[in-house]
Amino acid sequence: MSVARYDHGSRIPGWDDAVDLSKDPAEVPDPATMPVPAELRAAIEAAMAKYPDFRSAAIPALHAAQDLHGWCSPEAIEQVACVMRLTPAYLTAVATFYDMFATQPVGRHAVYVCTNISCSLRGADALHSAMQEAAADDPDFNVRAFECLGACDIAPMASVNGVYVGPLEVSDAETIVAQLRAGEDVLPEKQLLRRACADPGARS
Amino acid sequence: MPRPEVRMVQFSIDGREVQAPEGVMLVDGAKYGDVEIPVFCYEPKLGQPVGACRMCLVEIEGIPKLQTACSTPVKDGMVVHTQTARVREAQNSVVEFLLVNHPLDCPVCDKGGECPLQDITFGWGRGISRMVEPKRHFKKPLELSPLIAIDRERCILCYRCVRFSQEISEDYQLILHERGAHSYVGTFDAHPYVAPFSGNIVELCPVGALTSRPYRFRARPWDVEGAGTVCTLCPSQCNVELTVRDERVLRVLGRDHTEVDDGWLCDKGRFAYQAVHSSERVVEPLVRDGDALRPASWERALSAAASALGKARGSVGALAGGGTTNEEGFLLQRLVREGLGSADVDSRVNGPLPLELARALAAPALQATVPDLEFAHTVFVLCTEPVDDAPILDLRIRKGVRRRGARLAVATPRPSSLDPSAKLWLRYAPGAEHAFLAALAAALGAAGDVDALCALADADPKAVRALADLLNEDGRGDVVILWGERVGAAALPALLNVAARLGLGEREGAGLLEVPCGANGRGLREAGVLPNAGPGLSDAPAAGRSAREIAEAAAGGQLAALYLLHVDPVRDQTDAALWRRAMSRASTVIAHASFLTDELREHATVVFPAESYAEKEGTVTHPDGRLQRLRPGIGHPGSVRAGWSILAELTRAVSDRVGNTDTKEHTSPLTGPMASAQLFEAVPFYAGLTLEEIGGRGVRWQERAAAGAFPAGPQGSFDVGEPAAAPSPSGGLRLGSFRSIWAAPEVEHAPALKFLARSATVELSPADAERLGIENGERVTVSADDRSVSATAALRGNTPAGTAFLDAGLPEGGASELTDGTPTTVTVEHAAVEIPA
Amino acid sequence: MRGPGGEIVSDKLLFKDIDEPGLATIDVYKRRGGYQSLERALKCSREEVLQNLMDSGLRGRGGAGFAMGRKASFLPRGTMDKYLVCNADESEPGTFKDRELMQKSPHMLVEGMIIAAYAADANRSFIYIRGEYQQQAEILERAIQEARDAGYLGERILGSDHSLSLVLHRGAGAYICGEETGLLDSLEGKRGNPRLKPPFPANQGLYQGPTLINNVETLATVPHIIRMGGGEYAKLGTETSTGTKLVSVSGNVQRPGNYEIELGIPSREIVYGLAGGPERGREIKLWFPGGSSSPVLTPAELDLPYDFDSMAKAGSMLGSGAIIVVDDSVSVVDVALKLAKFYRHESCGKCTPCREGTNWTVKMLQRVESGEATPMDLDIIASVQQQIMGNCLCVLGDAMAMPVASMVSKFRGEFEAHIEARRAATGLGAPLAGVGV
Repeated sequence: MSVARYDHGSRIPGWDDAVDLSKDPAEVPDPATMPVPAELRAAIEAAMAKYPDFRSAAIPALHAAQDLHGWCSPEAIEQVACVMRLTPAYLTAVATFYDMFATQPVGRHAVYVCTNISCSLRGADALHSAMQEAAADDPDFNVRAFECLGACDIAPMASVNGVYVGPLEVSDAETIVAQLRAGEDVLPEKQLLRRACADPGARS
Repeated sequence: MPRPEVRMVQFSIDGREVQAPEGVMLVDGAKYGDVEIPVFCYEPKLGQPVGACRMCLVEIEGIPKLQTACSTPVKDGMVVHTQTARVREAQNSVVEFLLVNHPLDCPVCDKGGECPLQDITFGWGRGISRMVEPKRHFKKPLELSPLIAIDRERCILCYRCVRFSQEISEDYQLILHERGAHSYVGTFDAHPYVAPFSGNIVELCPVGALTSRPYRFRARPWDVEGAGTVCTLCPSQCNVELTVRDERVLRVLGRDHTEVDDGWLCDKGRFAYQAVHSSERVVEPLVRDGDALRPASWERALSAAASALGKARGSVGALAGGGTTNEEGFLLQRLVREGLGSADVDSRVNGPLPLELARALAAPALQATVPDLEFAHTVFVLCTEPVDDAPILDLRIRKGVRRRGARLAVATPRPSSLDPSAKLWLRYAPGAEHAFLAALAAALGAAGDVDALCALADADPKAVRALADLLNEDGRGDVVILWGERVGAAALPALLNVAARLGLGEREGAGLLEVPCGANGRGLREAGVLPNAGPGLSDAPAAGRSAREIAEAAAGGQLAALYLLHVDPVRDQTDAALWRRAMSRASTVIAHASFLTDELREHATVVFPAESYAEKEGTVTHPDGRLQRLRPGIGHPGSVRAGWSILAELTRAVSDRVGNTDTKEHTSPLTGPMASAQLFEAVPFYAGLTLEEIGGRGVRWQERAAAGAFPAGPQGSFDVGEPAAAPSPSGGLRLGSFRSIWAAPEVEHAPALKFLARSATVELSPADAERLGIENGERVTVSADDRSVSATAALRGNTPAGTAFLDAGLPEGGASELTDGTPTTVTVEHAAVEIPA
Repeated sequence: MRGPGGEIVSDKLLFKDIDEPGLATIDVYKRRGGYQSLERALKCSREEVLQNLMDSGLRGRGGAGFAMGRKASFLPRGTMDKYLVCNADESEPGTFKDRELMQKSPHMLVEGMIIAAYAADANRSFIYIRGEYQQQAEILERAIQEARDAGYLGERILGSDHSLSLVLHRGAGAYICGEETGLLDSLEGKRGNPRLKPPFPANQGLYQGPTLINNVETLATVPHIIRMGGGEYAKLGTETSTGTKLVSVSGNVQRPGNYEIELGIPSREIVYGLAGGPERGREIKLWFPGGSSSPVLTPAELDLPYDFDSMAKAGSMLGSGAIIVVDDSVSVVDVALKLAKFYRHESCGKCTPCREGTNWTVKMLQRVESGEATPMDLDIIASVQQQIMGNCLCVLGDAMAMPVASMVSKFRGEFEAHIEARRAATGLGAPLAGVGV
């Protein structure tokens, strides 16, 4: 039977999965049996305190859990669920909705290459391939094509661990990988934050 | 809370002028003009419409875009079109879109023939397919739980099932994963969707995506018939429709009744029908022959029973279980009182209930209805766990809180699954209802020292005062108290004082609603199955023994015979050891039973095969006073006979023996309806009722004129007495108990539900577990004095320290092994290590 | 903002001082006149401030172009919690103006929010910023803290009766959260599914309370309106498209970037004059005037004035003010497929026409791309777009259907030629004689 696949080749996760009948139903985890790292608990509780309805903290809490665990693993989700007194399923529904939450293990360096229209008009697809090639099979890297990142002025561009860089040449891919491996600042001269406004009238 | 008033509005649909209640959605309003608007996602039971499927688009004059009829309330003067080219185009389009990924595997689909997608495609589709792209294919069917299969190819993502899980049962286990065309229904990390109400999603699914595993491929819709009756597996008495094929129940569906079940069923009610056809069921009379029970003819069984009972005349104790109908209960008490000259008959658990309290509590003015739970300003759940004791009420309470802004308060010894929805919850020591309610009454202004009483109940006085304030609300709100029969007789005067302080008797939407231990607890009391009351809560001719006293007398040799009508006292009553002694000591034990227990095998003289509810004819009375009718959906298996006829025949037989012609004359109902008629005649406040009047929807006797004949109870303030202090744990733990929804013989005998059957679990607080060195999941021994049971330890963060909660209602090894019904303490320790041989 | 000779003069509102070093700090912002509008507003009544917003004619800069002052006036009065939510989930492809504002002048947004909240009598406010804007979120978080420390946020701001809390909320990557009700669900901690309307957010929005939702640029304009006076602001731009607008120009132009223009100047001036037009030797094939959701326009339509009404009259829309230029080196089939895939990826899945329609459209365009389709499939594509438009729960379905439909209808010949060429190249068979060409 042919299996539907994402464009980038991975199988659509979940569709073919039955439940494991040997497991118990996933209710709200009991604090008596679910240990939660103190710093994660503190971060989630601080987020919950900011909103009139504690559920609003779901996304901030998942961000915090993902930062700690590297991805929204079942364990990470159960920890958030335990602190927020929600079912892990509630948080799974949220986590799988948003592109930035990884519900499969990923490399710690997130390289999002924008391949949406404005970037693709300026060579994003080649950049994405180059980036994937440069990171090759290094499990530390999470190179993925991303929808418009809101930086078409530096197209083609990428978000490297949250830092926007562009416009990128295909040759920059190797540099980015090397710099990340060396723990260096990525392409400092191409970082968006250093870029002046394009509007000539804005330059006083 | 006042119910919304219904005003009619007039609007036009497809050129017809139609009147419909104001505020109903167009989809429903259109029906008043015989116009059908197709829907998939719309299901009013699920709450606010979501407008997701877009099937119901209609044209409304004055609004440029097509509107979803499911979310547009009808308004005066609205002009609606459902047949224009534009609307048809939109309907065709939505059907076409839905079929883009639907496999159209109707010939092998369990839903075929009763499938809304088929029907709507036929009625509103274009009739051709322009889609030539390959459809997605996935493995199917997959298990979603032991009870439910999921076929994701067929799913049209209407959201009904996940909305049910999230907004009705609020278990929030079933979700949509991913988004867009990749969305799919599933659970967290491959955990099965197991929750008390999970089966409802099968009935909600408008396609063949969610199917019942026990029903899959058992029948096509045209092979089966539907038979309406009432489920008597718990006091909720939900209205059901049995799907019957060849005298077998193959499925149970809801038969929506807003005043009773709101259209939902619990999984016990939905799947326990399998126990009806269990091979272990007793389907012929059994008579003791030496050490064993052996099948016998009816003549032999009846005469053996009559002869044994006749010998024990004046020394017979009878107990009726919760599944007993009003008619059976009525005939039982007549058999015992008039035929056997005994006063010892009961249908309750444990000790006696003073008659004046029974009358005061059942007074018509004080009764709340099921819908009152939804519309009350405040619902107070007292000493009951609705999801276990009367599951469907749990959903009703959640609905009130979620949709009507009802405020919820919970006071129970054990943490409640309703706590997270409650404005306020508090704990008191197990069995300390008397002191707790006295404290609450005092906090509401009655006599008594709140702090001292709270100390006796081990309740937080601040929380009790806050509860009083919440309930009181300056006397403005309607309060409904949902209380469990387990509150115990001693606490009832205080409960009545609380009710009086809150003015529950004077307010339309306020009142008390009891959750009895037995499914027909209320009906049996009203039919006279009480030691101190005859039919209609009349004064009994002679005071008899209560359930516990019957057991004590039998165990002590003062009662020669026990008559057990649909009851396993070892399991259902509080003192298992006492009942074992009673059954062993009694020289005669007559039982009506569906399944044999060890005690019956050992001690029963005669066992009559009991009917399942699917076979029964008669009436039951809902906790809110609604008489409902059981109608046989299938014939009797084997040589099973109707319970009422056995009781009638026995009465005739024993009366013959003693030549009591008076009794004989009026105890000879020859048909079920005759038995009902006798009951209605005997209970003054049922007077004039007929089965026709009860019909398919039931009737609350409080709403009939005959309700005036209800025997008035005492008025004013009740003397609350001297509450006893909860036992001090003193090194041990207080013992609390709970009876899970799954602790029932029907669960154990239904193959599909067997996986849910309970084994003993003891819940401990993390602090106690640490002190005792016990880990989660460990086998432990729970002991009280010289008695002990083994159980699995479960650590619970919200279990109050100092208390252990143990399963009750188990066939063996539950809490009733350790208690005599009064509060007690236990020790919990590591189970002795078994040394492998 | 034209000189006497018709030349564009640098009379900027939002972009004035935008590259000033340290503008993101409260000190520099205040040195440049920051928070004076707030002080002035708090000395006026709420009604006066609201009146100024109405007078300004300011239309929402997020995409829908609804009059901001009117929207603020819809909130019911009363003592319940009322909310102001800033939509900073800038994810419409081609749009990046809010990013530049938040990153370089976060206090302008904060000040605008405090004033807008005052006008709408909102006491709690949130900025929902897309999760990808991590650096911008950090900058904003600092600015909010500075504003709080300076007493511009919190209880009884500057001694007035106006109290306001402001929470920065990071999203996590979902285009649909730019739709205002999807944003509200997301902010409430749920999946970002759009809600049925009505009820509208002004009545039942965040946490079921009255809620005003505005885009970053809209709110950042508020201090300028208060400074100038609503009437004076309305003199900028055209009668129905007042004021200045940030335009993000991207794609095949020489100088992609954000430009602040006065609404109503010729589109050509933006694309060629400011952004430099396509590379030498290239011609413009088509352009999106308002983000990827807007129906495409042809080069001939570059002469239209760039304002809300002119774009609408041309069958497209000004949208978020994001001009994407596509030159003649690019295949229109690729553009259509790219777009359709984007919308399929971002469809939340709640309503049928969008979920299935985007999915089906992608599949059909893939067959077009590979040459397996026939011209009849182009008719089906066009028909499916019609089936989506107007039938969805929110505008995302339309956001795909409109540009795809416009491309298929305006560039039908190119689509057909592409199919023919691919058929020939991949050996799928001889050209289909006489079919639809």
